[in-house]
Amino acid sequence: MLDNNKTYASDLIPRLIPCLDVALGRVVKGVNFKGLVDMGDPVELAQKYEQQGADEIVFLDIKASVDNQQSALDMVYQVATHLSIPFAVGGGIKTIEDVDRFFHAGADKVTLNTAAVQNPALISQISTKYGSQSIVVAVDVNKNEQGELAIYTHGGSQLADVAYQAWIDEVVDRGAGEILLTAMHKDGTGSGFDCELLSSFGPNFPVQVIASGGAKGPQDFVDAIAAGADAVLAAGLFHRGEYTVGEIKDYLIQNNIRIRK
Amino acid sequence: MSQENSPGVNRLGVKVAIIDLDSGNLLSIQTAVQTAGFDMQVVQKPDQLDQDVNVLLMPGQGRFAFVVDQIDTLGWRKVILDWVGAGRKLIGICVGMQVLFESSDEDPDAKGLALLSGKVQRLRHPKAPMVGWAKLNSYKLSMQDQFAYFVNSYAAPDSDYCTAKVVYGDLFCAAVQKNNLYGFQFHPEKSGAFGRALIAHVCEQ
Repeated sequence: MLDNNKTYASDLIPRLIPCLDVALGRVVKGVNFKGLVDMGDPVELAQKYEQQGADEIVFLDIKASVDNQQSALDMVYQVATHLSIPFAVGGGIKTIEDVDRFFHAGADKVTLNTAAVQNPALISQISTKYGSQSIVVAVDVNKNEQGELAIYTHGGSQLADVAYQAWIDEVVDRGAGEILLTAMHKDGTGSGFDCELLSSFGPNFPVQVIASGGAKGPQDFVDAIAAGADAVLAAGLFHRGEYTVGEIKDYLIQNNIRIRK
Repeated sequence: MSQENSPGVNRLGVKVAIIDLDSGNLLSIQTAVQTAGFDMQVVQKPDQLDQDVNVLLMPGQGRFAFVVDQIDTLGWRKVILDWVGAGRKLIGICVGMQVLFESSDEDPDAKGLALLSGKVQRLRHPKAPMVGWAKLNSYKLSMQDQFAYFVNSYAAPDSDYCTAKVVYGDLFCAAVQKNNLYGFQFHPEKSGAFGRALIAHVCEQ
């Protein structure tokens, strides 16, 4: 029924997604992997980004195991009752029961990384129970010395025993709705997103691809979207106040990219 | 929340009943209705409906057959048909809009409410479901050129009662209105300030 060479008309527009790291119910920023700096209340910061024009928010709980997720669940409930845009939550989700609790608290989507690699069946379970739109699989990819792509887990600290293309294919086959693609070789370098990797998916790739890692300025967002990203996620340049979501959107509009404004 | 939103003081005498078909989380839609200042109740079965309810709101997620089955199992079908037949206001959201039509390609044997003619169809686009924001093509001032948040693989085709249109592979009906019967394929409760204002406008009208 679908022709892979055809271009399909779509009114969907690229999304801009600020990402907030949270710990014990507060937004945090890591400093040299040691202490965490308190950046504020998740609901207030999310509302600030919503007002700036964010299309969606992602919360990553970086201390999820510490209190058995209760602080994260409380946060999700508060966010769900104060935000009027969709949001995803990730960090420390291991079982379908964890997922049940986050959806019950009001999350629109969950994001999996390590748990998906360790237990790929969880992707299928979530997709079957809640629909593929409810699950985002975060794929952390790095280039080795030979220039080959490798998959990492545990916040990018452990090499996974799975080949890049095989893993992408499995994530799609198991029913993930979106892939959150972080190019670790670009992350934090301020050299832009990995546009070559983004363009390798092609316009008819069956799930949406969110570009993450490496954004330094507005042109990087233009380049990622031109390379085919369905959405762009960024953290640092928003949190540091270098750009507002609105300023990035203005720049995208100036570059003739359809954006919600 | 402002004082006028406090319980018992409803906005222009409007009371909204949200039908809980056990089909998705109702937190966002409840928040949207409450912050708009309407009195609200959540009901599983028709006999729980308060006498002073004047708007029925029916959200739905998941499969067409599941939502239709819940409508029948919980005893809503005749109540809804009588309600709409009497000219009272009903708002269906997402699959809650789809079940207002006769049937769906998703579950061809499941019987919709047939309050609107036509069959819900699968959107022919390689990226399914459709997830994200799209600008509405609408002649209604309340929706014209606004961006709405969609999560769906199926949608109703264009028809005479279609009040907003969107393209995803195919052109489909993003919103529908026939007298006091309203349907929104997108999620107004997740569509930012526009969506919240739309809920207030439609409930109040």
